[in-house]
Amino acid sequence: MNAIISARGLHKHFGRVHALDGLDLEVAPGEVHGYLGPNGAGKSTTIRILLGLARKTAGEVTVFGRDPWREASELHRRIATIPGDVALWPNLSGGETIDLLVRLRGGDTRSADYKRTRAALIEEFQFDPSKKARSYSKGNRQKVALIAAFAHPAELYVLDEPTSGLDPLMETVFTRQIARVAADGATVLLSSHILSEVERLCTRVSILRAGRVVESGTLTELRHLTRTSFSFDKNGLTDAALAGIPDAHDLAESQGRVSFTVDSDRVASVLTALGALGVTGLQVAPPSLEELFLRHYGDELQPEPQGA
Amino acid sequence: MFGTLLRFRLRRDRTQLIVWALALFFMMYAVVADVQETFPTAADRAATLKVMLVTPAILMFRGTPQGASEGAFTATLGLAFMALLAGMMSTFLVVRHTRAEEERGQAETIAATAAGRLAPSLAVIAEGVLANVMATVVIALGCLAGGLPAAGSWLLAAGCGVTGLSFVGVALVFAQLMPTSRSANGWSAALVVVAYFVRGIGDAAGEVHDASLSLTPAWPSWLSPIGWAQLAFPFAQNRVWPLPIGAAFFVVLVGVALLVQDRRDVGAGVIAERRGRIGASVVLRGPFGLAARLERGTLIGWIVALVALSTLVGDLSGVVVDQLASAGPGVADAINRIGGEQGTVLQAFANLGAVFSGLLAAAICVQGAMRLRQEEAVGLADAALAAAVGRTRWMLSYLIVAAIGAVVALVLGGLVSGSLAGAQAGGFSAWFGGIVWQTPGVLVFLGITALTFAVLPQATMAVGWVVFAAAGFLGMFGPLLGVPEWAQKLSPLVHAPAVALPHPDYTGGWVMAVLAVALCAAAVLLFRRRDTRPVG
Repeated sequence: MNAIISARGLHKHFGRVHALDGLDLEVAPGEVHGYLGPNGAGKSTTIRILLGLARKTAGEVTVFGRDPWREASELHRRIATIPGDVALWPNLSGGETIDLLVRLRGGDTRSADYKRTRAALIEEFQFDPSKKARSYSKGNRQKVALIAAFAHPAELYVLDEPTSGLDPLMETVFTRQIARVAADGATVLLSSHILSEVERLCTRVSILRAGRVVESGTLTELRHLTRTSFSFDKNGLTDAALAGIPDAHDLAESQGRVSFTVDSDRVASVLTALGALGVTGLQVAPPSLEELFLRHYGDELQPEPQGA
Repeated sequence: MFGTLLRFRLRRDRTQLIVWALALFFMMYAVVADVQETFPTAADRAATLKVMLVTPAILMFRGTPQGASEGAFTATLGLAFMALLAGMMSTFLVVRHTRAEEERGQAETIAATAAGRLAPSLAVIAEGVLANVMATVVIALGCLAGGLPAAGSWLLAAGCGVTGLSFVGVALVFAQLMPTSRSANGWSAALVVVAYFVRGIGDAAGEVHDASLSLTPAWPSWLSPIGWAQLAFPFAQNRVWPLPIGAAFFVVLVGVALLVQDRRDVGAGVIAERRGRIGASVVLRGPFGLAARLERGTLIGWIVALVALSTLVGDLSGVVVDQLASAGPGVADAINRIGGEQGTVLQAFANLGAVFSGLLAAAICVQGAMRLRQEEAVGLADAALAAAVGRTRWMLSYLIVAAIGAVVALVLGGLVSGSLAGAQAGGFSAWFGGIVWQTPGVLVFLGITALTFAVLPQATMAVGWVVFAAAGFLGMFGPLLGVPEWAQKLSPLVHAPAVALPHPDYTGGWVMAVLAVALCAAAVLLFRRRDTRPVG
């Protein structure tokens, strides 16, 4: 199985700033791959390199097994993309822009297939194609890029924060479109910082921090690496009894409830212990992507060092 | 609020205002100094004025003669041009802070604060007034530095300032009317040029007083803000009263603009944006179609301007023939200097027309190549390059569209002035050839701007316009003011073979053609090697 996108030890320097600092990324065929990281982590830089807009400083990178810088325009016939900041030609109408972008990708805008898909998308996204681009709001500009990306089939979709500016209704339309192209066998690289969106759509996730991928895997695999959180009513249990719970970390009490976390592979033994204590109001929460994310970034939110 | 906004604007415009101040000062000073060097005695100046007074076509491009004093002669040559620059400065300044800010949504951010609806406009008006006070001071200093009398210096400079002020008003009104900053800038800048030519018609049709070597302009001059500045007759009659006309014009236009502003939505123009097509036409198929579509409006504007200029020049050739028949001997030498090189007066005049056509076509090229950077800066280059469009194809599309625009403009201009110029005026081929041979030099501007884009993208606009302005200055004043030959040769336009003159030398033309192609090729190769750099 050959990876659709493969980067090894990828570096990109802008003067002294190391936007990418030895990045490894692997995206397999048919995968909807979430690419997570806060602003400035290097998501857009990676995407600019994958699209041949920026040149790597060092390392290896291939798209469909080929060099994205040298063979940019041939590769782009197989790729649909949505940029992080959608820029439109102010004096072209939305409809003209959609047709133009598809034609620039080598698409045939006269085919019945295209016309049907385009009309359906315009309907679904409730979009007015006759207005000049300069008068579109942020959400409408995003719709132009989305419709242009989905109106003509591609083998790879590279989407940089594609739902920014969309209302929740339009987000569900977007989700449907991702499901549709994924069902057709396309590969998707979805950069985002909206965790619920990634959790809902993606089969695999890479988490980016300061120009490196710090975690990569399926959501189940990643969850495995983190702790499940427990909480229950204290109901007069003594501290000694609580101390007897095996493998409990970060034990704390607040408003009459006890909470702690447990490594995900030790959950069964903790449940037995809690059963013996006869606790009430028990809540067990698997780690959310948000916690995964915070595990890698939590130190930025809390500058003071925590007792390990 | 008003004070905060004004300070904020001045801070943002600091560099631009300083550059304008330096440019205006040095241009004015250069004209004064060169007049003193090239025409040291009153007799030299009188000889030249005699020729100008019988050659309306030259008066059209220069000014209103008011005697042979050093100051009056300087005003005749330079005032209209300096006033034109002040008008351009005002136009760009106003549109940048009104319609352009509305387009980018910045106006909305400010409108949402406690600042009143009119506060942003008032701040722009105040900045416009300050900028023109600045222009007045630096132009006056330029004259004084050259040792001209104080009263005339200040009056000439104030004329330029008042012209600038008039165009602050004009641009304010267009910023209210037009839905985009491009159209507001285009219309206002076009009116500055129209004002220049309206006063030109006034001067060309004026009443000549042979004894005093002066001219009373015809009525069209009274319709032009640049005309009002000239009608003050600095260094001659030194009359102040025409200047308040410009000030009143400014006040009326400001009133109109504020009335409209107070009645319309933020972001909307009085003239609404038309709706567009639902789908793209067949032309909008690749990067070339896109470039052609984006440049269409600008190109048509420039081509119309060039054809209009050629009509004027070709048409005036007949007048030149008639008038020269009655001119005395000794005149030829002076007019040769005005037109450049050797030959008959008429040939010199044809050559002058060709140089002006070349300048307009060069502007097409500079602006066309700048489009590359404008597209890149806002991320639109990425939009095309992220589709299946290679860098070479993308870049060449814009360069070729600009080149075609320039060639079409020059060929049409050549056809028009060639057909209008009578057989006695040198015939079709001299006029047509003279204009069309500007092409190689014109394309060098395309190459220089494109190469800057490839190597130093952030500097594209600055380098493009500076090179253009320098060539414009050399074309306008170089031969006349005895600028050293090596300096004149820096302008690509100077190397065009003077087809209208006897024994034209075609080598320069071919050298420029090779240079243009080499510059464009280098630009494409270098652009292929660099990242695209959108702003932000």
